[in-house]
Parts: sequence; structure tokens; C-alpha cells
Amino acid sequence: MNLPKQPVQQKVLKYAITSLIVAGSIWSASGLEITLEKILKAPEQIAILVGAMFPLDLSQEAIERILPKVAESLFIAWAGTVIGAIFSFPIAFLAANNVAVNYVSEATKQILNGIRAFPELILAFVFLPITGLGALTGTLAIGIHSIGTLGKLSSEVIEGIDEGPLEAIKSSGGSKINELLFGVVPQVMPTITSYWLYRFEINLRASAVLGVVGAGGVGAELINQLRFRDFPRAGTVLVATVVLVLTVDTISAAIRRRIIKGRSIKIDQ
Amino acid sequence: MINLPKKPPPSLMVFLGIPAAFLFSYYCFSKVGFNLSDFRENLQNRYIVTDPLFNPKWSWAIENASEAIIETIQIAILASIVGCFIALPLSFYASQTTNQNKISFFLYKSFLNLVRTIPDLFWAMMFTVAVGLGPFAGVLALVMFSLAIMGKLLSETIDSIDPGPLEAAKSSGASHNQSVFTSALPQVLPNFTAYFLYIFELCIRASVILGLVGAGGVGRIIETQRIFLRFDRISPIIVLILVVVILIEQFSVWLRRRIL
Amino acid sequence: MIKFENVGVVYPGGVKALENINLEINEGDFVIIVGLSGAGKSTLLRSINNLVKPTSGNVVVDGNQVTNASKKELKKIRSDIGMIFQTFNLVNRSSVLKNVLTGRLSQVSTIRSITGLWPKEDKQIAFDALERVEILEKAYVRGSNLSGGQQQRVGIARALAQKPKVMLADEPVASLDPVTSRVVMSYLKKINQDLGITTIVNLHFLDLAKEFGTRLIGLREGNLVYDGSVDDVSDADFENIYGRSIKSSDLIGEDD
Repeated sequence: MNLPKQPVQQKVLKYAITSLIVAGSIWSASGLEITLEKILKAPEQIAILVGAMFPLDLSQEAIERILPKVAESLFIAWAGTVIGAIFSFPIAFLAANNVAVNYVSEATKQILNGIRAFPELILAFVFLPITGLGALTGTLAIGIHSIGTLGKLSSEVIEGIDEGPLEAIKSSGGSKINELLFGVVPQVMPTITSYWLYRFEINLRASAVLGVVGAGGVGAELINQLRFRDFPRAGTVLVATVVLVLTVDTISAAIRRRIIKGRSIKIDQ
Repeated sequence: MINLPKKPPPSLMVFLGIPAAFLFSYYCFSKVGFNLSDFRENLQNRYIVTDPLFNPKWSWAIENASEAIIETIQIAILASIVGCFIALPLSFYASQTTNQNKISFFLYKSFLNLVRTIPDLFWAMMFTVAVGLGPFAGVLALVMFSLAIMGKLLSETIDSIDPGPLEAAKSSGASHNQSVFTSALPQVLPNFTAYFLYIFELCIRASVILGLVGAGGVGRIIETQRIFLRFDRISPIIVLILVVVILIEQFSVWLRRRIL
Repeated sequence: MIKFENVGVVYPGGVKALENINLEINEGDFVIIVGLSGAGKSTLLRSINNLVKPTSGNVVVDGNQVTNASKKELKKIRSDIGMIFQTFNLVNRSSVLKNVLTGRLSQVSTIRSITGLWPKEDKQIAFDALERVEILEKAYVRGSNLSGGQQQRVGIARALAQKPKVMLADEPVASLDPVTSRVVMSYLKKINQDLGITTIVNLHFLDLAKEFGTRLIGLREGNLVYDGSVDDVSDADFENIYGRSIKSSDLIGEDD
């Protein structure tokens, strides 16, 4: 029996990657002084904290404080997403290399990358001295970051369209604007709209966090309660956040699915 | 006379949804305090920020922040590796393709969804209270973060794999774990790798912030400098981190091309 | 070897896939099942290894109760039954060898299969199986880099690696061209003759059935309507099985 030889390259690559991962983990863990002892102690410590949060503080006072903040996070997230959607849409066309001229699209892409690079929190830092503490700062931070991410994603959708319908429009005498409106937009709208909604889900989490630096939302509540060791109330804040995010996630996911799937039209006989 | 088909009525969702979205947006903007004249006035003050921001103090940053930046990267490396590898088996339980037990599937999927709802910084805050200030809390927080994202992405990928090879393994008498390992896992490995690199990048960005709540990394320095409006010290730090992120992005693109 | 005792399968939703099947298949038989799509061929095959569990009746394989077998018993039974599929069901990213080795999974501990430390004997069994379908030289090639016919041969090797007593083939050549189909069918026939493995094949190409089969079973709307030697079957019998006259799509034909 002539047994074939196993190619060496596959095995080498596998071992290289495995050792890279193991080495990276060990270097990081030792650098951060994470010992086995700490790891083993952790579950108990976590359980103690969770235990301290229950029963939750559901008093009138707590709810009156927390609910408006939760709602504020929602408003910030929505407003920020709207800013992101409105501005990113035209910019996406400028960044798409099949719509805009090459150097324009390249430049726009780099600008978008630049914007994207800054986490919302850092943007919030920058705006805080200008627009002060409060929801507006959070909205701006989220809005501008969203322009970056949505711009890039939308431009990729535009670049991935089927050129066929565009050709059809051109050959029937349509202008470039007609091509855009009737060829590009209908193709990209479902996906881009679903990206907007997905961004909203993510922005909701971001807006919850921004409160930590005073840019509005429920984050400030949480950090205060934790600082004052009022664990039941902190637990309430957490649960309220979870409920809000879950609700928004579920609704948004359902809408996104419907958008992508399209409507089934009943044809009467 | 031709029989024209009836035009389908406008979708309820579009008919109600779009005006509702506009109204809600207006409401949100007002609640958030969006006021164009105020805004214009505020922008006059931008020099407080922009002057130092565009005047980066590189030497200060390199001298004082290098160690913290390395710490930030280490947190990201450890957390993404641990988080993603824990997520690997969880994802198979969270997909109906590989988990036919309806109850168990529901539990795993709900667990992943629940972990996803809590923002990374919230996890960090809780862990600093539980295990103390410092990078350990940060790592734990980002492990949850990575776990949640990988869990969602990977379980959705597993949902759409070809169930044929799984059926083949099952029909030969292999155990459930063996079938999943030999016939489902190989199908999703390229996706796992891509998601891992993506999550690693996300972790680096997230880990910059952790220091704000005392969970390690360069965030601590950024916070102290911010209070004194020392944006001239913050901007070089951010740029350094961005450089690292870009390098990693390039590396991951190269790596992806070689494995696939 | 294989006994169907009053087997019926009703899918949720009320679809009657199989009705009142009483059948006995002897050791070493080479049986071909024909019938329209939806006649129940696939269901019949899958009830032999309980991939589909009959809602009434019993299937007995080699003296063992299959239909109500426990999980453990079922694994043992399945390890003696090899199955090949219309869509080959190979793990595309894995090598041919790895695919064939999955046939040995039931005999090897989970740890060994995960780490890839297969015992030497199992590897040898895999190589032997590959040689029998004449594709040994492709052992380390990725599954997806093979042609359809080659992939099906790997599928056969995988089933052979189980050292099975029974071989089930669910439309094994439906996605292949006439020449390759005949190659695959002749491998199945040869394995049946050389190793004495009871073989059951679902086909919808009538000429192929006549060419390779010895015993023919016809299913129509879940019922057994023909059971006899291939030589005795006439066009009228086929029309009875199909419930209509024979069309050209029922024949695989020759390669032009």
C-alpha cells in the first residue's frame, strides 16, 4: 500500500497559532499579576456581590430616580442614531468607490475611519467642556461616532450592489441621479435601514455607559449607587437597564427581520 | 378591458412606523436639550478643547503612559482569548442545529442574550466592587463582553451550517460530542477566527475606557488628565492606541488571508 | 438480516410517509428501492437506523430491536450500519482522511477523536477503505477540492470504515453524471459481492436499477407495491410503481 504523505505546512501553521495564543495569554496574565489564587477566589466574591443586590430596591424613591434616567438613555441613543443615520447616508455615497470618484471615496473613507476610531466615551470627553454635563453631550458623542461606523458600513453596502439595474436605467436614457434614486437606493435601503436599527441597539448600551462621565443616562446612577455601597439600588439600576435593552433589542430585531425579508403580498385570485 | 391587479395596501409598518419614528425623534431631540442657538454659543468655547487637543505632548505621553498602554493591550489579549474560547462550546449549545434539547438550548441562548444586554463598563464597575480595583476586574469584564459577542455571532453562524455531515456522523453511531466536533466545528472555524480578530480589536478599544472606573489600563490616566482639561496629554495617548489598533487590524487582515 | 414488521411513519402534520410495510431482507442481498419522490424511499431507509423513528411497527436489524432501542443500543446498532447520502455530506474543510476517520468515531474515545490521536489500527482501516474505492492518493486533499464522484467515493469509504454489516445508500448518484453514477454503483455492487455486506440503495433511475440490482422493491405513496427479482420486472410493473407511464427523466441514459 502506497501511503500518501501528509503536507507539513498545515501542521506547522496550527502549532504556530496555538503557541501564539498560549504565549500571548501567559504574557498578559503575568503582566497583569493575575494569579491562580485570584481566579479561584473570584466566583465567591462575585456571589457575595450578587447576593447583596437582592432583594432589589423597588421603593418609590428609587423608581422615581432611576426611571427618568433610563428613559434619558433611550432618548440619547435614539437621537444619536438619528444624527448618525441622517449624516452618514449622503457621506456613504461619497465614500463608495462605485459612486464617487476614486480619490474622493478614498479620502472620505479615511475621514470616516478617523471618526470611527474614537470610542464614544472619548468623544464625550471632548464635548464635555464645550456643551457641559448632560444629555446633549452624550447625544453628540454617540451621533458623531455613529456617523463614522454607519458611514463605513453603508458605503460597503453601496459598493456591493448589483450594477445590472443601473445599466438598465442608463441604457434607457436615465441620468446619474435617476440611477442613484431608482437603482442604488432601492437595493441598499433594506440593509442600510437594518444597520441603523442595529446601531441603535448598540448605541443604547453606549448611552447607558456615558452617564458615568456625566453625559446623561443611567450610568451615573449606577456608579453612584456602587460608590455609596447601596447594592440593592444598584441592582435595580442594572435590572432596569437589562429590561430596557432586552425590549429594544427584541423589537429592533423583529423589525430588522421584517425589513430584510420583505412583505409577503397576498394575491387574490 | 384588462383586469388590473389590486394594488397591495401600504404596509402597516411603513404607514405608521415612519411618522412615529419622526415624532419620536423630535421628542428625543427636545428631551436631550438640542437647541441650535445654545449649541452655536457653546461652540464658541471649543478652543478650551481644541487648542490643547491639537498640541500633543508626545514625550509626556510616552514617558508616563507607555506602561498603562501595555497594560491595556494585555487586558484585551487575555480577555478576548479567554472569552472567545469559553464562548466556543457555549455557542454550540445555543444553536438548534447542534442542540436538539429545547430546554437546554433556550437556557444557553437566554444566558448569552442576558450577558449581551449589560454594557462592558457596567460589568467593569461590578467586578471592581467584587474582586477589587485593578486590571483583574477589567479582564473579567471584557471576558463577559467577548463571550457575549462571540456567542451571538458564532451561534448564528452555526444555525446556518450544513447539517448533512452532522447527520452522517450521527448515523454511524458517533456520540453527540464527537459528531459536533468532527462535523460541525470545522465548518465554522474560519468564521470563529474572523470573529475572534474582530472581537480582539473591540476589546482593545473597550479596554481603554476601563480605567475610568478603576479596572486597569490607560483609562485611569486619561481620566485624571481630563479633569484638568489636559487634552494635550490625552490626544497623544489616543493616537498611540489608534496606531496599535491599526497595526493589529493590518496583522489580522494578513493573517486571515493566510489561513483561508 | 433486516425485518420490517408492520412499519408505519406518520409525520407531524398528518403526512403518511410509510404505511404497513412488511419486508424481510436477507444477509448479503443487494436491494434497490424505486419510487417517485415522496413515495417514502428515504423514510424507509432512515427507519432502518432510526434517523426516522416509525410511529407504528418495528424494525429489527441483525436480531436487534431498532425502533425502540435505548440510546446506547442505538449507537451500537448504528455503528454496524453505514450510510451514504445524495449530497455526500462530507466535512468540506477537512481532509479526505479525516472524513473517512469519522466512520471510526463510534469505536474511538472522544478524547482521541478530538485531539486527532487516532490509534494506528483505525488509521489503517481508513486507508484500507480508501484503497477499496481507489482514492487513497487523495487522502490529505480537502474534501471540497474533489469532484462529485470522488466525494461520493469518500462517502463510501467512510461508511466502509465502520466495518458495517449493512450499507444504506440514499439516492447516492442523483447528483452525478451517467458515467460517474455507473462507477459509484459498481463500487457498491463489488463491495456487496466481495464483502457480503447487505446493501440497500434508493434510486430513481429505472435503467440503473435494472442494470445493477438483483432484488427490486417498489414504493408508491408509502406502500409496498412491488417486491421481486429485477429480471422479472416489466415496464408495466414500473408504471404501476410510478402510477404513470415512464418518462425520460426516469432514465439516466448513456453519456453522449
